[in-house]
Amino acid sequence: MKWMQFFTPAESLDFKETQSYISQHPGDEMTILDVRQPSEYQESHIPGATLIPLPKLADRLNELDPEKPVLVY
Amino acid sequence: MLSGNGFKKVFNVTGGIKAWHAKTAVGPQDLGVDLFCGKEEPEDVLTVAYSLEQGLRDFYMTMEEKAARSEVKDLFARLSDIELKHQMSIYLAYNEISNEGLSKENFEKKVEKKAMEGGLSTREYLDIFKPDLGSETDVISLAMSIEAQALDLYQRVSSKILNPHSKDIINKIANEEKAHLASLGKLMDSL
Repeated sequence: MKWMQFFTPAESLDFKETQSYISQHPGDEMTILDVRQPSEYQESHIPGATLIPLPKLADRLNELDPEKPVLVY
Repeated sequence: MLSGNGFKKVFNVTGGIKAWHAKTAVGPQDLGVDLFCGKEEPEDVLTVAYSLEQGLRDFYMTMEEKAARSEVKDLFARLSDIELKHQMSIYLAYNEISNEGLSKENFEKKVEKKAMEGGLSTREYLDIFKPDLGSETDVISLAMSIEAQALDLYQRVSSKILNPHSKDIINKIANEEKAHLASLGKLMDSL
């Protein structure tokens, strides 16, 4: 069985690019979104990251500003 | 999910938090694979959805075999059973919309033809993501990311379907995928 590559296109940033993006943009002009579980977030996360666990994301999209760039991990 | 909901600019931080710690680029390859141009007919999307459900089922069955803990095995078995039911619902929805009156066998032939165009086997898929199959956290994270993609797909399909009954079918599947995500999240929290 073969299955389709079904991912929504999203530009990828590696660690260096992410770090450079964050340092070049004021914190309130972007959203760093952590979609892991709360326990993982608690253990460590990128500074300034907003936590919305993946299972809740569909219901909580309204908490995010669609106009701002979102860096998601 | 974000791109499909009007978010202007979405970046995927490759390797996630692991890469952040390790300061090296690891993890998934570029996922910028464009499956939907947004102009597909609902029939096309349902064909893809059927293939996606097959892929999910295949993935869960593989994971069920590999999981060590009985709790995790049971969850994957349950999830794979539900995906089978989803496939049947999608087939029925397809026939309602298309008026082609395809038998399930012929519908599957059509799906297979489409899926082969740019498909990945579960093995290839696992090779790209390289989850540590010995790590329940890795396996469950991957399952969650697949379920999120499925949920995203169904939410986008739903907005394109005009037939109210078919729309209900897709919304029901979307809600079940959402519930799958919640179950996987709970399982992750229990580790």
